[in-house]
Amino acid sequence: MKKMSLLSIALVGVVGFASNALAEIKLTYSDWQLAQEVWGKSLNDVIDQFEKENPGIKVAREPVQLAQRDVRFSTAIRAGGGPDVFALDANPVRQYIAEGWVRDLTPYIQAAGGKDFLGDFYPISLQPVTVDGKVYGLPMNTVAMTLVYNKKLFKEAGIDAPASTWEQFREDMKKLTRSKSGSGPVDQWGLTLVLAPAGFDLRVTSIVRGFGADFLTPDGTRSAMDTPEAKAAFNYIVDLIQVDKSVPPGATQVDANGARRLLANQTVAVKIGTTWSYPEVSAMNPALDGWHTLGMAPIPRSAGKDNQTRTTLFQKTVFVNQNSKHPEAAWKLARYLTDPAAMRRWFDDNNMLSARRSVNEGYEKISQSESARTVAAEIEHGAFLPQTPKWPQILDAFRQNLQAAVVGSKSRDQALDDLNRQINTILE
Amino acid sequence: MKTGRHWIAIYGCLLAMAAYNLWPFFWMLASSFKTDIEVTSFPATIFPRTFTTAAYGRVWSQEGMVHYFLNSLLVSGATALLSAAIGILCGYGFSRFRFRGRNVFMVLLLASQVIPGVLLVGPYFKMMSLVGLYDSLTGLILAQTTLTLPFSVWMIKGYIDGVPIELDQAAQIDGATSFQCLRHCVLPSILPGVVATTIFAFLLAWGDLLWALCLITDPAKQTMTLGITNLVGQFRVLWSDIMAATVIGCSIPAVAYVILQRYLVQSSISSAIKG
Amino acid sequence: MVGSTPRAGYFYVLPALLLMIVILGFPSVASVLESFGVGTKGPIGLHAYAKLAGDPEFYETLRNTAIFVVAVVSMHLVLGLGTALLLNQELRFRWLFRVLAILPWTMPDIIGGLIFRFMFDTLTGGVNAVLGALGLASAFDWLGDPTLALGTVIAAEVWRGYPYVMLILLAGLQAIPQDQYEAAKLDGVNAWKTFLHITVPNLKPMIYLALVLDAIWECRLFGMIYGMTGGGPGISTQNLSLMVYKQYFQFFDTAYAASVAVVLAAVLMVLAVPYVRLALRDEK
Repeated sequence: MKKMSLLSIALVGVVGFASNALAEIKLTYSDWQLAQEVWGKSLNDVIDQFEKENPGIKVAREPVQLAQRDVRFSTAIRAGGGPDVFALDANPVRQYIAEGWVRDLTPYIQAAGGKDFLGDFYPISLQPVTVDGKVYGLPMNTVAMTLVYNKKLFKEAGIDAPASTWEQFREDMKKLTRSKSGSGPVDQWGLTLVLAPAGFDLRVTSIVRGFGADFLTPDGTRSAMDTPEAKAAFNYIVDLIQVDKSVPPGATQVDANGARRLLANQTVAVKIGTTWSYPEVSAMNPALDGWHTLGMAPIPRSAGKDNQTRTTLFQKTVFVNQNSKHPEAAWKLARYLTDPAAMRRWFDDNNMLSARRSVNEGYEKISQSESARTVAAEIEHGAFLPQTPKWPQILDAFRQNLQAAVVGSKSRDQALDDLNRQINTILE
Repeated sequence: MKTGRHWIAIYGCLLAMAAYNLWPFFWMLASSFKTDIEVTSFPATIFPRTFTTAAYGRVWSQEGMVHYFLNSLLVSGATALLSAAIGILCGYGFSRFRFRGRNVFMVLLLASQVIPGVLLVGPYFKMMSLVGLYDSLTGLILAQTTLTLPFSVWMIKGYIDGVPIELDQAAQIDGATSFQCLRHCVLPSILPGVVATTIFAFLLAWGDLLWALCLITDPAKQTMTLGITNLVGQFRVLWSDIMAATVIGCSIPAVAYVILQRYLVQSSISSAIKG
Repeated sequence: MVGSTPRAGYFYVLPALLLMIVILGFPSVASVLESFGVGTKGPIGLHAYAKLAGDPEFYETLRNTAIFVVAVVSMHLVLGLGTALLLNQELRFRWLFRVLAILPWTMPDIIGGLIFRFMFDTLTGGVNAVLGALGLASAFDWLGDPTLALGTVIAAEVWRGYPYVMLILLAGLQAIPQDQYEAAKLDGVNAWKTFLHITVPNLKPMIYLALVLDAIWECRLFGMIYGMTGGGPGISTQNLSLMVYKQYFQFFDTAYAASVAVVLAAVLMVLAVPYVRLALRDEK
C-alpha cells in the first residue's frame, strides 16, 4: 500500500513537473521584412495565427534592417545567442552554414515525411541550403529577376514591349532617353542600373546571365569572366552608361531603392526587378497607378543564342539558430512560415511567389496575375549566384571593376583582366 | 579700443560661421517639408514646391519615434553623467598624484580606444548575456561609457592641470583632505571644462549606432540613432521622414547645449587666488 | 603632489580603470588573438598579416586614411581655433552664436553620412541643385567620381567635426587668466602680438590635446564615410575602419579583419604616444 501511494505521489510530481516544463516556450523570430510596412504586418498576422494554433509557444518579433541584419545576427550568434528562428536572403547563406550558425534540419524533415516533404519545393530552391546532403533551411519565397517597365512611357516612344534581344533593347533605350517636354534638356532616361552595393547582386548579374555568361566555372574553381560572352556583357553595361548615356548621371550611386524611385517618378522607363516591384513602386508614387502602368518582361538574350539560364534568382529562406534552446518549437515555427497556407498569404499580401511548386502552379490568384506568371515562368531560367563562401569578395571585385570601367579610371579590358585575376586569387 | 570696424569684422565672421554651419540643416529642413516625390525628383528643388508636414506626422505617430527619443535621452544622459563623474575622479587622480603605474594606466586608457568597436561588440555581448544584462539599457550605458570615458578623462585632466597646484596646497595647509580640495578648489575652476566634456560625452553616446544595434533587440528599447537608420529600409527610403527625424534628433543636443552653455563662462581663478 | 600619500591616487582612478578593464579588457585581448587566428576557423599564425603585407587594397586604404586624417584635422584646427576666438569675445546674443557653433556636431556621424549622401547625390541632391540654380555646371558626380569622392567626404567631415576642437579650445581660452590680457592692454600691445604671445602659449597644451584626440577620432571614423560612400567608388574612400567592417561582417574573415584592426590600433598608438610622452614630460 505504502509503495502505491509513494508511486502515485511520484507520478503526480513527474506529471506536474512535466506540465510545468511544457508551460511556455519563448521563441524569438527576426526578419528584415518585419521592419517593412506591409510585409511586417503580414508576417505578424501569420505568427499570431501560429501562436493561436500552438498555445504554449510565444514568439517575440525582432525587426532589423537589411543593411544591419548580418551585423546583428553574426555578433549575437558568435556570442552564443541570437534569434531562435530567422530569415536570410540568398546572400550569406553559405557563410552561415560554413560557420556552423544554422541548425541541420534533416532529422526534422525526415520526421515530417522526408522526400515527400521536400518534393514540393523547387529543386533549385533547395540548392543553396543543402550542403553534403543535409538541409539547413526552408525556402520561403523564390523569384526571378525580370525587366519592369513603364507601359505608358514605352507607348509614348512608340515601342510595344521590351525587346527580347540585347541589340534591340539597346536601341529602345536610346529612343526612351529624351526630354519629356520635347525641347528641353534630357530629363527622362531609358533605364536605371544599380551599381551601388545595396541590390547590385541581383540586378546587374542578371544582365551577365542574360548574355549567357557566368561568374565562375560550373565547378566553382575558376573565374568564368574571361569568356567572350562575359566580355560582351561587361562592355554592354559600360556602353549603356558611357556611350549611349541611356542611364541617368550618377549611376554609380544608385542602389535598389534609388532605382525604384527613378521608376516611380517616371525618370526612367525600365529597371530590373521582380514581383515586389509592383507594390513597392506603386506605393512610392500613387499617381503612377503602378498596377496598371507597369509591365514585366523576361531579361533579353543575345540574338541567336538561346541560353537556358538567363537571370538571377532571389530567395528568402528561414533558418533555425544552432544556439536555439528550443529547436523543436523553432522547427514548428519555421515549418509554419513555409507551409502552403502561409505561402498563399505571402502572395496575397506582398505579391511574392512561393518556393513551393504546388502553390505557384495551383493557386488561382497567381495564375491570374500577369506579373506573377511572367516571373514564375522565369524561375526555370534562373540560377542563384555562385554558392561559394567567397562570393561576397568576388561580387565586390566585380562591382569595383565595373565601377572603375564606368567612371573611366580603368579601361574596360584592364578592368576585366583585373577582375579575372582577382577572382582567381580569391578562389585559391 | 573697440572700434566699429573691429566689431563689424567679428560679427561678419560669426555670420559666415553661422551660414556655414546651417546650410546642411537648411537643406534637411527644406526636404523634411517636401513630399516624397518632390524630395527625390530631378531636377531637384531648393524650396518645397508643395509644403507639407506629412513627414513629421509620420515620424511622430509611426515607428515609436517618441519612445526612441526618450530612450536616447536616458541612455546618453546617463552615459554623460557617469563619464563626467568618473572622469573627474580619474582626471584628478592622474593630475595630482604620482603613483606607480600612473603613466602606464594613462596610456592604457587612451589605448582602449584604438581597437575598432566592431571587434569588441561580440565578446562584450557575450559578457552581458552571462550577467543577464543582455538587451538592457544598463548594458548599453556601460558600453557607451567605455566609449566616452577615455577622452573625458584626458580632457578633464587637461583642465585640472591648468589649475595651479598652489590652490590645492593652500587648502591642504588649512587642513582639507584631497577630496575636499577637489570639491571646493578644483571643481569650480574647471566647470567650463566639465561642461564641455559632459556635452561631448552626451553627443558621442547619442550618435552611437554599433553598440545600440548589437546590444538591443527589443524594438521598444531602441535609441533614436538606430531608429533613424531604420528608416532606410530594403524597399523604401523615406528621405523626407529621415530629414524630419534628424531635425528632431539634432534639436535635443542643441537644446541641451543652450541650457548648459552658460556654464562655459569665464572662470574665477583669479578671485580664488586673491580670496 | 597633493598630500604625502601618492597612493591615494589609486582610489581616484580605480572606478575608471575597473570599468575599462572589466568591459573592454577581455574583448580587446580576444580581438588581438583573433588576428593570429586563435578562436577562428582558420590556421593559427601570422597568415593574416602576411596576406595584409601583400594586399594592394591595404596600402591604398592606409593612404586614404592618412590623407583623410591630415586634411580633416588641420582644417578642424583652423576653423575650430578661429571660431573659439570669435566666441570668446563679449558678444551680444552670445548664447545664440554658441548654439549655432556646435550645431554640426549634434549630428551623429551615421546620420550625417546619410544626409550628406543625399545632399551630394548627383541627380537629386542639394549641392548640384544650388549649383544649377546659380547657373554653374551642375552634373558633378561628387560621390561617384573617384577623383572627387575623397575630397567630398573630407569636406563633409570637416563640417561635422570642427565644433569638437572648438569646444576644447574655447574652454581652454576661458581658463586663461584675465590679468595677463589686462597687463598686455596696459602695455599697449596690439591684438596680433597678444594672440601670439599670450593666447597661443597658454593654449598650447589644449591645442595639442585637441589635435591628438581629433586625429585619433578621425582615424577611427566609420559612420560618416559608411553612410556617404560605403568606401567607394572602388575603394577610393575606404579607410581602415571600413576595411575592418567589410572583412568582418561582409566577408566573414575574422582573422583578416582583426589584423587590420591591430594595424589601425598600432597607427593610433603611434599618434598617441608622442603626445602622451610630451604631456607627461611637461608636467611639473
